[in-house]
Amino acid sequence: MSIISTALRHFKEPTKEQLTEIFFSIPSLDLSVEGSSQNDEQDKMDINAVLSLGEEEDSYAGKLHIMPPYLAFSSLDKKSVRFTIPLSTIRRVERLNARAGVYALSLLTWHGMKIIVQLTSLRPTADLFCSILRDALKVELQRGQMKQVKSFAKTCYSEVLVSDCSNAADNEHEDGSLITDEKDGSIQDVSYHGGLGLKFKFPGDAKKLREASKIKLWTTYLRNHGRNLTLLRYPQCTRLVQVGLPNRLRGEMWETLSGSIYLRFSNPGYYERLLEENKGTTNTSTDDIEKDLHRSLPEYAGYQSEEGINALRRVLRAYSYKNPELGYCQAMNILTAAILIYMSEEQAFWLLEVLCGRLLPGYYAPSMHGTLLDQRVFESLVQKHLPIIHEHFQLVDVQLSVASLPWFLSLYINSMPMVFAFRIVDCFLCMGPKVLFQVGLAILKINGEQLLQIQDDGGFLNLMRDYFASLGHSAHPTSSDPRARAITVFQELLLVSFREFSVITEDLILSERRRFRGEIIHSIESFAKRGAVRNLRSLGRFNKEQVGLIYDALYKAMCIVPPPPAAAPSPSLFTTGDGHEEKPETRIGLRTFRQFLSEIASWARDEKIVMNGFQQRIDREVAEHEFIDRLFYFWDTGCHGALSFQDLVSGLDGVMFNDLMENIEWFFNLHDKNKDGFLTKDEVLTLSESFLFIFRYEIGDAYLGAVSRFMTNAFEYGDALLPQPETTFEDGSSPQIASNQPYLNLATFRMVVLADEVLESFFETDLSESFKLQPLPEMELPSAHNGILGDLWSSIATDSNKKMFNMFTDEIGKTIGKHQVVNKPSIGRYTKLEEPKARESLLTPTLRKSLSRLSLGSISAASTVATSSSSTLSVNTTLELPKTHAIVPDSASLSAMPMLQAVNAAALMERTPFAIDDARDDDDDDEDEVLDGHDDQVMDEVDAFLEAHDSGLSEADKAVANDLLHAEPLK
Amino acid sequence: MSETASGSADKSVQVKLVLLGEAAVGKSSVVLRFVSNEFQPNKEPTIGAAFLTQKCRLEDRILRYEIWDTAGQERFHSLAPMYYRNAQAAVVVYDVTKASSLEKAKSWVKELQRQANPNIVIALAGNKVDLVQPSASSPSAASHSESEDEADDATATPGETAGTAGEPESLRQVPREEAQAYATEAGLLFFETSAKTGEGIVDIFTEIAKKIPIEHILAASRGGSGRPGASGGRTDSTRQQGVNLEENATKGKDACNC
Repeated sequence: MSIISTALRHFKEPTKEQLTEIFFSIPSLDLSVEGSSQNDEQDKMDINAVLSLGEEEDSYAGKLHIMPPYLAFSSLDKKSVRFTIPLSTIRRVERLNARAGVYALSLLTWHGMKIIVQLTSLRPTADLFCSILRDALKVELQRGQMKQVKSFAKTCYSEVLVSDCSNAADNEHEDGSLITDEKDGSIQDVSYHGGLGLKFKFPGDAKKLREASKIKLWTTYLRNHGRNLTLLRYPQCTRLVQVGLPNRLRGEMWETLSGSIYLRFSNPGYYERLLEENKGTTNTSTDDIEKDLHRSLPEYAGYQSEEGINALRRVLRAYSYKNPELGYCQAMNILTAAILIYMSEEQAFWLLEVLCGRLLPGYYAPSMHGTLLDQRVFESLVQKHLPIIHEHFQLVDVQLSVASLPWFLSLYINSMPMVFAFRIVDCFLCMGPKVLFQVGLAILKINGEQLLQIQDDGGFLNLMRDYFASLGHSAHPTSSDPRARAITVFQELLLVSFREFSVITEDLILSERRRFRGEIIHSIESFAKRGAVRNLRSLGRFNKEQVGLIYDALYKAMCIVPPPPAAAPSPSLFTTGDGHEEKPETRIGLRTFRQFLSEIASWARDEKIVMNGFQQRIDREVAEHEFIDRLFYFWDTGCHGALSFQDLVSGLDGVMFNDLMENIEWFFNLHDKNKDGFLTKDEVLTLSESFLFIFRYEIGDAYLGAVSRFMTNAFEYGDALLPQPETTFEDGSSPQIASNQPYLNLATFRMVVLADEVLESFFETDLSESFKLQPLPEMELPSAHNGILGDLWSSIATDSNKKMFNMFTDEIGKTIGKHQVVNKPSIGRYTKLEEPKARESLLTPTLRKSLSRLSLGSISAASTVATSSSSTLSVNTTLELPKTHAIVPDSASLSAMPMLQAVNAAALMERTPFAIDDARDDDDDDEDEVLDGHDDQVMDEVDAFLEAHDSGLSEADKAVANDLLHAEPLK
Repeated sequence: MSETASGSADKSVQVKLVLLGEAAVGKSSVVLRFVSNEFQPNKEPTIGAAFLTQKCRLEDRILRYEIWDTAGQERFHSLAPMYYRNAQAAVVVYDVTKASSLEKAKSWVKELQRQANPNIVIALAGNKVDLVQPSASSPSAASHSESEDEADDATATPGETAGTAGEPESLRQVPREEAQAYATEAGLLFFETSAKTGEGIVDIFTEIAKKIPIEHILAASRGGSGRPGASGGRTDSTRQQGVNLEENATKGKDACNC
């Protein structure tokens, strides 16, 4: 009754290119729904450039990226200035006529904003960049995207603000209500998107929030720096965000800053279609959503009306349809309810997509691994930056997460009064996930003294609750300075967040996540394993450890051959256990089963012992045979066409503890397809084939002989026992009975088996013992401690290294004539005995056991059964190898082997170089952020923001850049 | 939530209690009933777990329950250990009208017995028993369930009460005897409760209080000195100690209320 998910194993660290895309909020390709042209590598390029814009902004040096269909720029410090604009918004590109040696382009957007970029790389590079840009622009033109821009812009409130004919900004009262558009209303109906707030009012006191001044400032900014799709983010933009977005503009700025606007732009109509296509679909996610609709910001008027509830329902459902694997997770309702106050459904849907996918990765996944990971990261940051608090928490055994988990999971919306939480969301969407950590640290720091007094979780929570309730109060109520008195607790919080914790950078978060990912995955997996074992209905005769080994084998198989998503209820959907419905449960298909069985049953794998004079190794492959398929369906007692963990445990329980008679019966039943107690002739033949399959690698003809005797006998006895005995003895072909009629019963089958000592001994012990539960070598975690390249990558690398090494030695072995391959027997009992006449009752039972185990367990160094001592190993070799086949390596190669095994082992460990690369990568950015921390005045006045930002340019460079503003286009 | 300050808690004993159970069995309602009389149709949403406190008087002792009401959604399961670690008591709730919820409850019990504090006192509570009682109020069975839905805010199961007004007993999927037998076998306290009517709610907490090794906690606790900074709370917990459980049950609302 458990869900087993290997999803975490498939985690891949983003590549450098992906990180760039993430930085610029560019939707990843596979996400783009309408299958936009797969961009080739050569389409993308970056180049050193200097950005200039009009007179009032400084020029900034940085990097210009072309990533069709986007053009992006970031200043050198990666934070002062940046933009991401769709190419389709660019109407004209001109090469500027400027001083000699200066290569500059003027880009004109659809609304007439002129951006000048001076390409400072070498001439050929600049030429190449220009040609790529030209091609990409052509593609956009052909795709017709250019035409979309204007109509899309109409959906944005910012266009209303900046348009000349409307004075929307002036219309805004200080109290936040609009002077109703009597004059505009007729000219242009409200086509821009907006949220429930337009109808149900926005939270907070508009006057106190200074809505009107904010709108004015933004209007000016947006006029000069572009807006929505074409927004250029200069330092002032961030400043304006930090003092809080004005309510009417908030939704649009959220989608612009987060980049979800690009998704909405490139997927028009997608949201509506998605809802239409899934109309009426219900599943566990929709059920869960239904339960939470009425407890999502219930205090907000919009959610006391059907309108708000319906919007919330549609957006959450649409997301669960889009991403069924994630579905719905509590806390998403709060997030969505919050953003719907400011955004239209479509806007909210795409923002949710960006939130769940990029900004809060893995937070809401079924395993919630992202949440757990970031809690771990947060804890480590607290340990580093607030060591005294951390120590105290350790001392009184208080867990940080009891308070901080909801902070992160609901972006503080569930913890703080809404007006304040939304301002954190503003910053979060503008500056990225680091904001959550910065604010969290600041909360703890500000409350430091009281935190050192708390004694338990409860005290911690109460303290936090009181603090959040006080956010609107004055931070310095007793100060004589009225300005100081005016600073609220919340403003102080932001101040501390961004000033004192500016060291918390995006890169730091990324590297901390890398550091702890392995640990988190490991703990989630072992938690899941414990749960799965605990939830089994029956362990059979296994003990817990053994069941754990079965789980490991299953888990490994699922990693190698992931089971296909189940048909009706996806296995990734979690249960709410409605009524009598069967709980969703992970089940594996046939292919995964084969892999699983090959881990456990010796005959379910093809093992080749390869010797090439340098090394001796075992190459293992998964066997395929009808017998295995038959077993699969035999164990599928519930007829699901797939097996659960419980099925596997019960199935193995049904064979691993059997004695002679039970095994014979088991084998008989396995082949008695219709369970009528009789095998048909066809089934007898199939059964013989099964024997042959199991014995396929046995050396010598003992087993072959046994099977052929079995067939003869089976048909002989079978015929003899038929109702009208036929005495034609010839070859068992009895015409009297059709091949699909009941023919051989269990008693007869038993008799035939017992008549043969080889088969008898097979059923007595070997069959059961061919199943073996062994501890698997610890699987590599996808991304243990090293960075960008991750362990998954490197383990692939080592695997292929190993293969190459193996191939290489094989080749050499072949040339020097030492290459030999022999299939390892699955049973291996009679390998030595040519004729099994001397029944090996001579051997004591214990010795017999260890013999067969030895032959089953591998010779390979990797997974030798612990019990086999080296002395018995030599016995084993003499038994198996020397006589039948001349595969004993000569002394020379024997002596060479240990050394080469060492080489092989070295190849296994070749992961260190990557780690070094990463370490270097991580250090890069620390210096950049030192510049930050001038944000003191953020709170004071909206106008007093601008401060010196390092443009990365010398005076001379600036002069050039300034010149360019007035340069003429080249002919 | 009604916040109970610890007050002059020189004698008070803190008991950490965690509520677990499948989604929609009414965990939150049970706590709400126990902790506060306020009716909150739309409770604040729970992320991870809600934290509530309530004081109880047991003989001459004051117990201060710190209650962690965990989220029901399955994917929050992996967070549960955070809340039940160090817990001295747990209430595992199931819904008497839903057989599968008892299975889930059993699995929680198993988990607690293996992973949690070894001395943890576990109570099993079969909630929503008002739905299956052919009681005097049965004519209003439907309205019963409605109000239960409300009290239960979003975690109530819609539709389960459909067409049941006539024969409430048929709704029952978990026979009392079966659950009782299981509880006895697993060594749990057992109650059938109704957060709606208050039946059995107080008894859970009373019995837990009796069973908890208070001396042990006192010895282990850090001197039991109240929380600094907490202002004096109302300590008029004048609940009669559970000699007469029936009476308690009927007075559930008033009992144990700070």
